Order: sequence, then structure tokens, then C-alpha cells
Amino acid sequence: MKSAECLAMILAGGQGSRLGVLTKTVAKPAVPFGGKYRIIDFTLSNCIHSGIYTVGVLTQYQPLELNTYIGSGHPWDLNRNSGGVYVLPPYQSAEKGEWYKGTANAIYQNIEFVDKFNPKYVVILSGDHIYKMDYSKMVEYHKEKNADATIAVIEVPWEEASRFGIMTANPDGKIVEFAEKPKEPKSNLASMGVYVFTWDVLKKYLQSDEKDPASSNDFGKKYYPNNAWQRGEYVCVRI
Amino acid sequence: MKDMMGIVMADNSELTLNELTELRSIPALPFGGRYRLIDFILSNMVNSGIINVGIATNINYSSLMDHVGSGAPWDLNRKIYGLFMLPPYVRGGAGGISTGSIDQLYGVLTFLRRSRQQYVVLASGRTVCNMTFDEALKLHIEKDADITVVYRDVKEKNDQLSRSNVYEVDENGRVNGMETSPRYPKTTLQGMGMFIIERIKLIELIEDAYARGSHDFVRDILMTAVNSHKVYGYEYKGFVGIVDSIRSYYETNMKMLESDVRRDIFGSENRIYTKVKDQVPTQYGKTAEVSDSLIADGCIIEGTVENSIIFRGVHIAKGAVIKNSIVMQNSVIEENCDIENVIIDKECTLRQSKRLVGQPNYPVILPKRTLL
Repeated sequence: MKSAECLAMILAGGQGSRLGVLTKTVAKPAVPFGGKYRIIDFTLSNCIHSGIYTVGVLTQYQPLELNTYIGSGHPWDLNRNSGGVYVLPPYQSAEKGEWYKGTANAIYQNIEFVDKFNPKYVVILSGDHIYKMDYSKMVEYHKEKNADATIAVIEVPWEEASRFGIMTANPDGKIVEFAEKPKEPKSNLASMGVYVFTWDVLKKYLQSDEKDPASSNDFGKKYYPNNAWQRGEYVCVRI
Repeated sequence: MKDMMGIVMADNSELTLNELTELRSIPALPFGGRYRLIDFILSNMVNSGIINVGIATNINYSSLMDHVGSGAPWDLNRKIYGLFMLPPYVRGGAGGISTGSIDQLYGVLTFLRRSRQQYVVLASGRTVCNMTFDEALKLHIEKDADITVVYRDVKEKNDQLSRSNVYEVDENGRVNGMETSPRYPKTTLQGMGMFIIERIKLIELIEDAYARGSHDFVRDILMTAVNSHKVYGYEYKGFVGIVDSIRSYYETNMKMLESDVRRDIFGSENRIYTKVKDQVPTQYGKTAEVSDSLIADGCIIEGTVENSIIFRGVHIAKGAVIKNSIVMQNSVIEENCDIENVIIDKECTLRQSKRLVGQPNYPVILPKRTLL
């Protein structure tokens, strides 16, 4: 298998309960949008326009329609001979079989898949965002800063800041604090749930996080950013 | 490398390989048992991350089109960009079958204009090597070059230099002199027929050259540019085979039998892709004796094969002896034939007990579908 410099993992397994009846039988990324799209189209299209041609889609909740929709990946030019799109549901192994317990756990359970491509960087994305973004610029920034993790942030109105995961960064871009839905936000930079990780580093975190029974095994909650900045690793944000 | 596109110049009207190129262009020549020459440049391009490739053809391109098809073996069957065959315009500004590489390039201006990549690698389709263009492009950007040429150092002067572009390169990598097809080459730095240039700059150069009535990319654009522009050279150090004559075609094929060359070309993580035929594995009979040969799938081997390259679906009958030869697809060598230093094109049949012997530096050619 030819190694890819950069690989994307799209988290598409959540229930999306806030969408109520719309996601009763369909996973959120497969919900129709904008007349002719489905929500996951945006993230998949961003991937190929960023030059990322190896993409794993982590599915769990009501995956039938989502799987059928992704198919061979042809509509996104992801029907590649090497690389392309892979649908990654939870699976049973010789030791155990379990659901994805959280977003980080979902990646943890697919370490072997990622290793198969031996990437230098892994881009972690959500399958339920509507946006247009060139991830290659973010990866460039990540390389430039020699960061372990880069978290994309977006400025939100101050009055809404307490609804989001808020990053506080120093002028160089290094994250100094992360607060999930803070009552009194110190900044208005909200995490978009778009991460670039150096794979070696992420892999180690995932393995140690898995051993921690108190962890929620989730990227967004208290898992990565908090631990990392407390331990003084270099973490950057793109502003 | 989403910022680079490729153009393969699939013809060179100055070169022919006699019978071998009567019905095909040089890049469509079968090579190494299961490849065609164009596989190498196409694979090199896609292994460099290029997803937008045009193949500029001129004459005899039907076997080439048949081979590359939709581009699927090279992952170039895409919705956005992918593989584009660019045959000549017979009517309109570009005046029919082209007489030189500039006319041919003029015909691909539309393709160049509607592409969005910043850089172009322009390459001939007859170089056998396994390289990526990442380093050459890095050098191009670092030196702020107008054109970067890829060359290799052949160390000793040889007759092929007299059919090649020969460069003089200073210690900074700048090309400050060049000759094309010189009788007495000044240096041993041989061009590999690969050029990196900015897309917009290439469009300008082609338009200017066309407007002046020039025909040849090398003589009219490159040679002038050496004096007026920043032309840099990138030296490639791996194995390179350049096919520009029957002898070099034969010798480059035979080079594949050397294990270090084979490792360099086929052993890397970057694969050489080709059109797959899904034939059955080759069957070796009890009387088969094979040594130092490359034998493709779908063959029946019952005779002796030494130091040869046998393509798909070849039948070599009992008692037949093949030495230092190339036998292309679906040819049949019947009992007790004796073949040495011969290139047998596709679908030939040699009836029983035929004897054909060429010289190592002058192989005999049997044209396609010969019945002997």
C-alpha cells in the first residue's frame, strides 16, 4: 500500500438527536440538504478539493442510507485504486466487540486502518458540518508550527460563545486554554471540530486515553485539548 | 501535488523505430513483458500526485488510445480533471497534423488554459524510469527558475547523446548552454525529455513561438530560453532508459533482466501501472527450461528460454530455443525453432524449425503478424 501523507477520518456515527424526526431512521450526515445535497457532501467535497484522497467514514447510528449513498465514492472521485473512501462501522474482533464509545474511541478502534496507509498527518472531521474549507492550508500551518495538533476555530459572537468549545490562544497561535461551553468565555474562538493531528502523537494519546477508565473517549469533551495544553505540548489553532 | 499538471508529448516526428513504429507511436511500444512505454511517464506523474494529464498525440495514436482507455489503471478516470487525449485539430487555427512540437503544443493551448494548476511538467513518452517530480519542482521553486530541465549524467560519451539534448550546467544548477543532437557533444549531461514550467509561462512561450512561425519546442523555445531566461537543470540519479532507436529499445528491454535495474524500476513503493488483461498464469511444460527471463502471464512455455522477454499469451513449443530476444503478445514459436537476438512483434507465427539470428547490437525485427 502506497502511503498517503495525509488521511481524513470523518465522524459520521452520531445520532443527531437534536434533529428529532429527521434523524429517526437516517444518520445525520445522510440528511438531505439544500435541494440536491446531503450533509456529508460538504465534508467529502472539501477533502478532495484539499487533495486528500484517502478518507475513512466512521458510521454507527442508522448507517444503511449513509452507506448506500457513499457507495464506491465515485461522485467525489473517491473510487481510487489506492486509497479512496472506506466506510468503517464498529466491528467484532478476536478479543472483543463493542460500539464506538466516543469520537476518540472510534479512531482508536481504527488505528490499524490508519496505519495501513502510514500517514504523517490525520485530519479528523465531522460529517455534519456545512462549510467550505481547504484543509491543505491547515495542514501547511500545522507543519509550519511543527505542532502535534491543530484545531480549526471560528470567531463566534461573544454572546453566543458559551454555547461552544472555546479556545484561548496566545499571539503565536498556541492554545493556552480550552473550555467546553464556558459560562464566562475568555475568548470567542470556537472549535469547529476540525483537527489535524500528527499521527504518531495522536496514536499514543489514543492508546493511553483508552486505558483511562475516567475518560469519555471523546475529542470534543475534555479529552484532547485539555490534556495536551496542561502537559505543555505545542498546540496551534488556525485563526 | 495538486498544483501540477502533466502533458505527455506522445510523438516525435523525427524519430522512428522502423517496422516497430509503423502502426504505433513510440510511447505505445510494448515494453518489459506487460507494459507500454507510456506507462512509465504516466505512473511517474500520478505517483507525484498529478491528477490532470493530457496526452498530446499526432499520428498513429489508435493503439495508444486503446491502451490508456479511460485512464483507470492510473487512477485517472476522474470527474474532475483526469486523463485527456489531445489529438491534432485538423481544421481551425492549428492547421492539421503538426510538423513540430510547437504546433502540437499550440493544439493543446485550450487544455492548458482551462486547467488551474500552477505548474506543468512537459514530458516525452519514451523515457523508462521510476521517479517523482517533487524534488525537481522544489528545485524549480527554490531557484525561481523559468524552466527546469531534467537530465542524467551518462558519464561516458555514447552515440545516443548525438540524438539527445545535451546540457552544460554550472555548479549552481543553472543551464548556461545546450546542444541538440550534436555530432560531438560538449558534455555527458543528457536531457530526459522532461521540463517543468509555469503553466501561464508555457502558454506565453507557445503563443510567442507560434506567432514567429517556429515549430520546434527544443530548438525554438528552449535553446533561446537558455540565453534569455532562467533555465535550471535537475539531475536524476536513478536508472534511466531512453528509447529513440531500435538498438536503445532492445537494450533498455534487456536492462530489465538485471536485478538492480529491475529493483530500481519495479521495486519501489511507487508502482508502474499498466492496463491489466486478466490472463491465466503461465504454464510451464515438463520440457521447459527458462533462465534469466521475464515472462508475462497467459503463456505456454515448453521450449528453452534464455535471457529474453516474453509478453502475454506467447506459445513456445517443445525444442524451440529463444535467446536474448523479445517476443511480443500472442506470438507462436513452433517446435525446434532457433531464435537469437530477435524482436518478434505481436501475433507472429514461426513455423517449425525456423532459424533467425541477429546481432546483439543489431537485432532482427519481425513485423506484426508475420507468418514465417
